[in-house]
Amino acid sequence: MINEILVQFAEWLYATGGSRAIEESFYLYNWIETTHVLTIMVCLGMLAFIDLRMLGYALPNVSASTIADRLNVPMMIGFAIMFITGLLLFYAKPTYTNQSIWFRIKMVLLVVAFFNAIRFHRHMKASASTWCNEPRAPLNLRVSAALSLGLWAGVVTTGRLIAYDWYHCYRDLPGWLSAAAGCVAE
Amino acid sequence: MELLPFFEWAETTFLGYIGKTYGGVYATFGQSLHLMALAVLGGSVLVADLRLLNVIMKDVPSKIVTEQAHKWFRIALVVIICTGTFMAAAVAQRMYHNDFFWAKMSALLVGIIFVFAIKRPLLKGSHADLNPIVIKMVASASILVWFSVAATGRWIGFSG
Repeated sequence: MINEILVQFAEWLYATGGSRAIEESFYLYNWIETTHVLTIMVCLGMLAFIDLRMLGYALPNVSASTIADRLNVPMMIGFAIMFITGLLLFYAKPTYTNQSIWFRIKMVLLVVAFFNAIRFHRHMKASASTWCNEPRAPLNLRVSAALSLGLWAGVVTTGRLIAYDWYHCYRDLPGWLSAAAGCVAE
Repeated sequence: MELLPFFEWAETTFLGYIGKTYGGVYATFGQSLHLMALAVLGGSVLVADLRLLNVIMKDVPSKIVTEQAHKWFRIALVVIICTGTFMAAAVAQRMYHNDFFWAKMSALLVGIIFVFAIKRPLLKGSHADLNPIVIKMVASASILVWFSVAATGRWIGFSG
């Protein structure tokens, strides 16, 4: 049921003028994708430094709350551009992307990463004053930081794999994979 | 010097064979790892250069920030070169005829020379002794060079 609704929504998006205009423009589509990749350097680059600081591998002699506070702004700017360009990339190829198992896994990983970030900030705010000058964060924050790095590595990998159609609906897929990829009977 | 025979040979190597035969290995160990290393490299460049430009972490000495960021820059650069070599070996002959591949290699070479022959020697001493305008010019050039490396790298895929 949900897959049928998603397919209808993707087909409606695909029929809009804006979607066609982006996909059919060589330069527009490719520059949106290039910007998406460049913002990985900004957003995930900053995130990696925050997480590595918590794990004690980067800037251990600088207060952890200073790192988190100061790098948060450029990270969020990068994330906002990455999110907008990501939406535009989906808008340009909604029917293909909607039925990509990699895109679906990427979305799940993004949601888990979001909740992990909330948990991380909550623990950070509550406890930073007691340890922020230590070279390593307490165990629960280190677990969150390591999880964050792992989840974002998964987001990057699945994002890259969207371009490959190994498990797309026009392939011969097992039932569970076909349902997970959002395939519907013609 | 004719480079085509080298690129033809690269495709026949073990790396070229693995990349060409196993799409999953190429995409995950090549492309994804390359992107992750690019993220770390971008982070290390931005953390150091935005500090030198007085945009972030103004309350932390720039020497500490640039020294720490450079450690991760080196690690990311090694991973980028290794994964990039693996990816290029699989499609070496196509790369030879791709203008953006050569643009990226040129930008990468400029970036490496810039970092190890200009930026690092300049920032080795006390930053307080340096002309602030020179520091800002170096930081701006560094961001420009490394973002050019990333952008030209992405365009290799669009122009194949």
